[in-house]
Amino acid sequence: MPSSMVGQTPSLTGFLKSLKQNDIENSIELFISLLKRRQIKNSRPCAIATTHLLLRVVAEPKRKWDAQKLIARVRNVGRRLIAAQPREMAVGNIVRRVLGVIREVAERDEDPLTDSEFSGSASPITEEFQRPALPTRFSEFSPLHGAAAMPHNMHSGRPGTADSVSMDLGGTPQRPALLSTNASYAGQGPPGTSLFSILQHPQGRSPVATPPPGTQSPVTGPSPSRRAIGGEIPEKLDIKAEVIDGIKELQDELDVVDNQIAESALDHIHSNEIILTHTSSQTVQKFLLTAARKRKFTLFHAEAYPNNHEATHVTILNGAQGEDDSDERWKPLTSLGITVILIPDSAVFAPMSRINKVILAPHAVLANGSLLAAAGASTIALAAKTHHVPVVVLSGVYKLSPVYPFDTDELIEYGDPSKVVPFEEAEFTDKVDIVNPLYDWVDCDLVDLYITNLGGHAPSYLYRIVADHYRVEDIDLNAKLDAVAKKG
Amino acid sequence: MAPSQPSSGDEEAFDIVATYRRLLSEDPDLTMPVAAIESLIVGLTNTPSTTVSETLDLVSKLTAQLKSGVSNPISLSAGTDLFQQYLISNLQRARGDFDQARSHLVQNGRLFIERAKAARETIAGFGKHFVRDGNTVLTNGGSRVVGALLRNAAESSNGSGRGSIRFRVIYVVSHSATGGSAEESETAANIAALRERDIPVAEIPPTAIAYCMDMVTSCFVGAEGVVENGGVVSRLGTYQMASLAKAAGKPFYVVSESHKFVRLYPLGQSDLGIEQNIVDFRTARSSEEKESAKDEGVADLEGEGAMSSRRSCTPGDELDYTPPRLISGIITEGGVLLPSAVSEELIKIWF
Repeated sequence: MPSSMVGQTPSLTGFLKSLKQNDIENSIELFISLLKRRQIKNSRPCAIATTHLLLRVVAEPKRKWDAQKLIARVRNVGRRLIAAQPREMAVGNIVRRVLGVIREVAERDEDPLTDSEFSGSASPITEEFQRPALPTRFSEFSPLHGAAAMPHNMHSGRPGTADSVSMDLGGTPQRPALLSTNASYAGQGPPGTSLFSILQHPQGRSPVATPPPGTQSPVTGPSPSRRAIGGEIPEKLDIKAEVIDGIKELQDELDVVDNQIAESALDHIHSNEIILTHTSSQTVQKFLLTAARKRKFTLFHAEAYPNNHEATHVTILNGAQGEDDSDERWKPLTSLGITVILIPDSAVFAPMSRINKVILAPHAVLANGSLLAAAGASTIALAAKTHHVPVVVLSGVYKLSPVYPFDTDELIEYGDPSKVVPFEEAEFTDKVDIVNPLYDWVDCDLVDLYITNLGGHAPSYLYRIVADHYRVEDIDLNAKLDAVAKKG
Repeated sequence: MAPSQPSSGDEEAFDIVATYRRLLSEDPDLTMPVAAIESLIVGLTNTPSTTVSETLDLVSKLTAQLKSGVSNPISLSAGTDLFQQYLISNLQRARGDFDQARSHLVQNGRLFIERAKAARETIAGFGKHFVRDGNTVLTNGGSRVVGALLRNAAESSNGSGRGSIRFRVIYVVSHSATGGSAEESETAANIAALRERDIPVAEIPPTAIAYCMDMVTSCFVGAEGVVENGGVVSRLGTYQMASLAKAAGKPFYVVSESHKFVRLYPLGQSDLGIEQNIVDFRTARSSEEKESAKDEGVADLEGEGAMSSRRSCTPGDELDYTPPRLISGIITEGGVLLPSAVSEELIKIWF
């Protein structure tokens, strides 16, 4: 056990400090045990810890990575972390994001030569079918970031020049969907589309595609040989540096998530509205605080007994607190002149007819638009549906999981039953089964709007965000990796 | 260069409809869109063409013949549209490799069939995620994909072939007056296969769907075509089941390979583009209602030719349209799609 942790309550900040001192295996083990013992819990601390840990894993000194090995290493670590606490979906999300970063970096490294050749033939076709731009604020390393720009310009830069990619965004961004036919799959037919997969040449390349000059008949798989001219050894170092950059981007994203979500607060909260929320979520508090600076509204705050009510009381009285034991505090809403009414969870239905909006913060959002939130959310959402009250969910993209909820019962975590009925009442606890679910599953039908750090989306649109941020091959981390990755 | 007539040539005229029917009857595992693609490829093989536009022209002629010759063209039009778009995008890119493209298509005919069947197996592999211990599954008859999915769930995770998922199946079986249709034998085969694997199967008439909905955990149906807005065109009775499932709050899944996505946007049951004589009003006096029921405006618009060439569906083959709001998810070989994601998949090949 790392000695630096002795004598301190294990927590996120302690873990982050110890990361600097320990070697990687120990850090991984420490994180796994923190997860198992639920000493790190809730989405954001887990996401932050995972990001830092993976940064250490990738940045292992004196270790040269190539893309495949790095992917395999991150997958292995990720598998262990997810197995430690499968219900903390944020851990898996971050692992998959990092894998996406690695794959994107690898693809960018492979393609610079071919794309410049291909751009000529690709452009007449693509320009013909352009569509008006969809504004995108994708993180630079999200897998489809480049796809939002002109496809044939995407890889024209040398590897590592992120500027060329962001410059292209200023041009005519296209719908990301169109571009699977283009540059990053140089030389193939329309391959990224599953509908055409049935007609694809068996080796994954259509023989009619214009091969780049210098090659003749279809070549199996991507063509590393063509790239060899550029020199492979410098690219391996580049992969490490670029992936580290990508992960740091992720860290930055995690830091500013709440601020970005709060940016749209004024659009959604109007004067003299009555808002309902529950639990002591930091995201919701920041959102409401941003609105409170300019608007006066009333807040009904359900206390989320028995798991969160003390934290809720503290938040209402003293303001939201930063993660774990950090000293940051934000002002309580009451100090800005907002009326806050604390209600027990059983009273949620009664005032619902007068409530204008419900604002929830989830624990995790699932691929089909449904979400897992603190217990009590389901009641609130159903009550809101009955009275036709809009339900708005505030969630960073890091909480969005690509996993489809085949069985929603499995996703609910159960907590300490003594919070419901204390063990002292032995006669009662003897005869009765007491369960204390920590989370509720809320169906996508009950949610009207998701506000993420990328803006507001309908629940039916979330599949798109999932597709943009995660690669299909990373969704199942237990699957065997392809020996030669066809798509890079 | 005048495009060659598909029906002229040294051999006898190439009859695409006959080829299509022959392919379907020869291989019971073949779906209609794939059979359509296959018959177009056979057509391409039999008719030489040397230019891109000749080929595309030929394909569109054959497609038109096929669609007019079959009473229910929705499903096969998914295949023909896919094939046409694939040709257009690939041949445009070819610029010189035309012969290669053509020969690739012609030679790999069997490969496409194999891939389509493999898609069905992939979908079936998802089966064990959707069906859990203690579930009761409701399904419509006759879909091969659903049958494969349930069989797979029955066999999963146990080497001896007796699965470890204990679930039950309720099959909706309509014993039509004609009897002995292809659908019924397919259903009977599916039921027998499940029963052999120790899965209890109940057969109910369509009138009992609402009655049993309380004990159902989820519904699975197959589809003839998945339309642009995420709805499905499927066997008559599917819309009914979906409506009842929605009313009871049960998830309703459509299981379909992705080559069945078709670029149609029906606004209602009568907007499918096919003639179905499902609601047939009669009185004691008039024997057939057809001419009197037809709207004059419609006849003028479409002309006599179009009307007469569309034949009505045989009973047992009727279709209905299920709107996307009733569908919880579409299970394809690429995973579970939300209905809202279907249009994006279609846009990818059409634009």
